[in-house]
Amino acid sequence: MERINNPYRPIEAEVLKVITETPTIKTIHFKPKEPIRFATGQFVEITIPGVGEAPFTPSSPPSEKETMQVSVMKVGKVTDKIHELKKGDAIGVRGPFGNGYPVDEFKGKEILVVGGGCGFAPLRSLMYEFFDRSGQLKKLFFRGGCKTPKELVYHDETKEWAKRKDLNLKLTVDAADSSWKGNVGVVTTILDDVKMDYKKGIGVVCGPPIMMKFATKKLLHMGFKEDNIYLSMEKNMSCGIGKCGHCRLGTYYACKDGPVFKYSEIKKLPEIWD
Amino acid sequence: MKYITFHNLAKLLDALKEDYRVFVPVKKSESGDYPIKKGAQRFYKEYDKFSDDIIIGEVRPFEPLKAFFVSAREKVADNFSPEVPHTKDKPFALVGVKNCDLKQGFKVQDHVFNNHDFQDPFYIKNREENLIIAADCTCAIDTCFCLATGNQPYPEENFDINLSSVGDGFIVEAAPTRRAQKFMDKYHSLFDIAKDYQLNERKEQRQKVIKKVEENIKENNIPSYDTLKEDIIKKNWDSDVWLDESKTCVECAACTIICPTCHCFLLYDQKDKEKMERLRIWDSCMIKDYARVAGGANPRPKLWMRLRNRFEKKFDFFPKVGGFYACTGCGRCISACPAMIDIREVLVRLVKGNGKNK
Ligand SMILES: Cc1cc2nc3c(=O)[nH]c(=O)nc-3n(C[C@H](O)[C@H](O)[C@H](O)COP(=O)(O)OP(=O)(O)OC[C@H]3O[C@@H](n4cnc5c(N)ncnc54)[C@H](O)[C@@H]3O)c2cc1C
Ligand code: SF4
Ligand code: SF4
Ligand code: FES
Repeated sequence: MERINNPYRPIEAEVLKVITETPTIKTIHFKPKEPIRFATGQFVEITIPGVGEAPFTPSSPPSEKETMQVSVMKVGKVTDKIHELKKGDAIGVRGPFGNGYPVDEFKGKEILVVGGGCGFAPLRSLMYEFFDRSGQLKKLFFRGGCKTPKELVYHDETKEWAKRKDLNLKLTVDAADSSWKGNVGVVTTILDDVKMDYKKGIGVVCGPPIMMKFATKKLLHMGFKEDNIYLSMEKNMSCGIGKCGHCRLGTYYACKDGPVFKYSEIKKLPEIWD
Repeated sequence: MKYITFHNLAKLLDALKEDYRVFVPVKKSESGDYPIKKGAQRFYKEYDKFSDDIIIGEVRPFEPLKAFFVSAREKVADNFSPEVPHTKDKPFALVGVKNCDLKQGFKVQDHVFNNHDFQDPFYIKNREENLIIAADCTCAIDTCFCLATGNQPYPEENFDINLSSVGDGFIVEAAPTRRAQKFMDKYHSLFDIAKDYQLNERKEQRQKVIKKVEENIKENNIPSYDTLKEDIIKKNWDSDVWLDESKTCVECAACTIICPTCHCFLLYDQKDKEKMERLRIWDSCMIKDYARVAGGANPRPKLWMRLRNRFEKKFDFFPKVGGFYACTGCGRCISACPAMIDIREVLVRLVKGNGKNK
């Protein structure tokens, strides 16, 4: 038999560094023993040996070639163990899977990126990709929201981003504390001052389902075209390669045909926000 | 076309044991006594020597053929090792395989596991190395409705060798492949030339079974291949039929496990001493946690939604992405379901349904 790759085998990777972003989110820096090239928005399956696997979108940019990062929220069996990782530990990586963002098609366009909660992770990779291609975009806006200032990821980085000339950035929290000087309210409340030609603009939305639902509605209301709104769909996944059936979304598999979809592709499908 | 006697078939199966693990369908009565009770199912048994309980003809065994191509539980990765497990396993020779499994069953499984994006090395090995000695159905049981989903009750494709029971032996048809020709050459001394009257007998026998399946279809008002096409899922999306049909469901997943087209699985990791071992185990969309995501959100929390999803996958998803139904008409799910949910009745209601509640 001709040798076929085993798509279920994880590649070994060494944990280089673990950063605590918030009480529930940690960023893991790791180095796969065989190089893994990915496009921003694609995802990988991370294995904790003997415990299980879970899908994550790298939060590092594709231009970082030797190492990768994932930012992981602690929510269950595998993610609990990911939060226990320390430098030198061995993990497994499979991937990359899925389609990623069509970044080349964004050239010369005005772009609004809307993120919520842990949806920041893939968007961080995308933002660095945009920064790497600085000058290619006409305008770039970032609007991010999370529940409280404590839960805001990439705190120091977003401060740096705020200084950039090629980016208009604004953040909001649902509930402020004494440290917070910015906007209070859900992310859809900070979209009105985004000045661009909505009819030609590109919207990229990533976050919890409920946030994506309302942000999409808002963008449509502002005048964005259904074809120009990109959503990243999180479904239950196991194989990552369109075989196990778990992530089916109408006639698509989110792992293979997504996780990034245009709103126009999925708007008629049932169960998209559930 | 060739002919083989019962006696020589036994010799053939004995010889195959050298290169293959040979599996044959057997029928057992619960008491072990003969004659066998009506309604007894056929099961695959590993062949050792020829015995009276071996049934080459009749209808499909209870286990779906897929079990020999994607097993219910198998190791798919050993720690980080690039070695593909199971590559050296002895292949199977599967005897008495019926067309519902062969044609429609493989259509679906090939579409899933042998597509161009990502090929499954385990499935492909099995597909390349397993030998299939198919057989005509010599009868149809009440639950058979293969003609309605586009399958004849005799092997049409995907076999190496086909056996059609005539008189005291079988007509032997070899597929037009190199492998089948090699097989015929290797065992040529066991075969005779088939006579015209034997070929006629095969023709008549096939017509008889077709008639029985047609009667089944008529008796149960099973919708024709064409009416199934009328977007039956979409137009019944909000219908009561789902809740109504799922009322007795106990979420056992038997219908999907036994189905020759269902392919869902879960990768499950466990510790093997200090290393990890990744298993692939069959999963079922009827189980509540199947689509649950971390945090507890579930797109299909109710049983009726999962029943609808099962039908959507079979009669909407696969027709749209592959151009075929993911149902072979084998009727296994009808016999397997402890809640007596009958796919034929559901289909009748879907075709009749107009989207409104009853
Ligand atoms: C494309 C995509 C990208 C994502 N990106 C990110 C990201 O960047 N950051 C982030 O924090 N989250 C991300 N998520 C969500 C993340 O995948 C989930 O939070 C994670 O799967 C939770 O896993 P858990 O085991 O901790 O949770 P649990 O609730 O314990 O389990 C979740 C799932 O894992 C299955 N499972 C349980 N045990 C095993 C086992 N032994 N083997 C195999 N499976 C098992 C369960 O069936 C269940 O479906 C992403 C999800 C998707 C689909
Ligand atoms: S749905 Fe039922 S009748 Fe159809 S192939 Fe599956 S088990 Fe057979
Ligand atoms: S469904 Fe058709 S092919 Fe399958 S066992 Fe019954 S008669 Fe034979
Ligand atoms: S994760 Fe298995 S099909 Fe998408």
